[in-house]
Amino acid sequence: MFSPVDPKHVLANLYSDHHRWLRAWLYRRLNCPHDAADLTQDTFVRALTSRQLNTLQEPRAFLATIARNLLGNTFRRRALERAYLNELAALAPEFMPSEEDMALVREALELIDQLLDGLPLRARHCFLLHRLEGLSQPEIARHLDISLATVERDLRRAFLHCLSSTAP
Amino acid sequence: MRGHDADSANRAAVDWLLRLESAPAGSAPYQAFESWLLAHPEHVDAWQRVNAVLRTPLAALHEAERRSPGQLKVASDSLRALPCPSRRSALGGGLALLLGLGTAGIANRMMPLRELLADQRTATGERRTLILEDGSRLSLDARTAVDIQFDQHQRRVLLREGAVQVDVAHDPRRPFIVDSQDGTLRALGTRFMVRKDDAGSLASVQQHSVLLTNRSGRQQHIEEGQAYAFTERSIDLQTPSWRSRADWVEGRIDMRDEPLGQLIEALRPYRAGFLRISPQAARIRVYGVFPLDDSERTLRSLAETLPVEIATHGFCLTRIDVRPTHS
Repeated sequence: MFSPVDPKHVLANLYSDHHRWLRAWLYRRLNCPHDAADLTQDTFVRALTSRQLNTLQEPRAFLATIARNLLGNTFRRRALERAYLNELAALAPEFMPSEEDMALVREALELIDQLLDGLPLRARHCFLLHRLEGLSQPEIARHLDISLATVERDLRRAFLHCLSSTAP
Repeated sequence: MRGHDADSANRAAVDWLLRLESAPAGSAPYQAFESWLLAHPEHVDAWQRVNAVLRTPLAALHEAERRSPGQLKVASDSLRALPCPSRRSALGGGLALLLGLGTAGIANRMMPLRELLADQRTATGERRTLILEDGSRLSLDARTAVDIQFDQHQRRVLLREGAVQVDVAHDPRRPFIVDSQDGTLRALGTRFMVRKDDAGSLASVQQHSVLLTNRSGRQQHIEEGQAYAFTERSIDLQTPSWRSRADWVEGRIDMRDEPLGQLIEALRPYRAGFLRISPQAARIRVYGVFPLDDSERTLRSLAETLPVEIATHGFCLTRIDVRPTHS
């Protein structure tokens, strides 16, 4: 039992046995062959770095767990993209950003969304109003109809949340 | 792993950031903050960490905003339109997604450390002209921070933020160098201006010429009347604009058919509160000379001559939007 097994070898077997199944599984949920292929790839890359690789009892359950995580991220990105397109649609045509600026904003949106992941909704709103729109704490309190003390508490929580998720 | 000290310093730094938001420069909380900051190196680190939160995505959003006004607001609305990803119970859709106009000077709200620790700095609305030891004149625009480093080989001014104009006293043995961190400008005897913000630097020459060398080593001679924008990687010729003219030294700004948004940008360092302008209003063209030191009067005269309305909300927020047309 002590003989070290080459993870690449284990992965190669895992791949040949299950990648078709995984891609079909992902395709059913994503409805897009390209995304399904990408996520299949990503799932196996994640699997490679997993410590459980050598002791797998149920490889498909293991792969599905990783894939489900990645799916969540993909759906989140799609929802973010939809929200962004909705907001853009409300702009007058002359304020449409260039493709380059859209790419810049998309990337920033994803980064911010990831940083705020897990932050309660109200704190998220306070923080975005404060950081992106430059509202003062009393203004945020008025806009969200909450107390100034709550705004302050939420902002503090959001800052500390970001600091803990960027910590090395 | 970060220790307990770093965590408590982080907490304190966040508290300061939130508390200083409403404190005018030089007030008691401000002074208390400065002594807290300088009391321990860990405090400086924490302050930098707190100010670095969201820095990368915000810089990208500001860059997009500069070219496509309204994108900051769009970004905020997009992120707020999403449900909470957390598995904890979300608050539901009861929160009103209110708010009018975007584009706020977020960078100005944070008090960057680099300004606090600089040799010379000017506050909001403050301009200063220094006579340096070699007889050169160094004018600092509002919200500007510089370090002055003179020795027997060179005369060096490190521009951390804001804008300076230098009237260089002739000294063939010691070149005069302004370093904006995107690049350096080197002169023997001349008059030129350098402006530095988060997006990059801009240099313009009012007399003779200077040699620009950016961080990647590219060089450009800038002649009298010319202006160049530069970053670490690029150097680009600019058509003259308020940003390249040095009228601020005399306390005025000269707009020649430039967007109103740019005039508001120029007024920001001269106003303690927030100035918000709608994308529509930002595009109106402006022509004229405006005083910087009385921004209140400048805003009033804009409302009289342009199709805009200006609403003041309390002490610190002013909103500018196009006047609704009544048919």
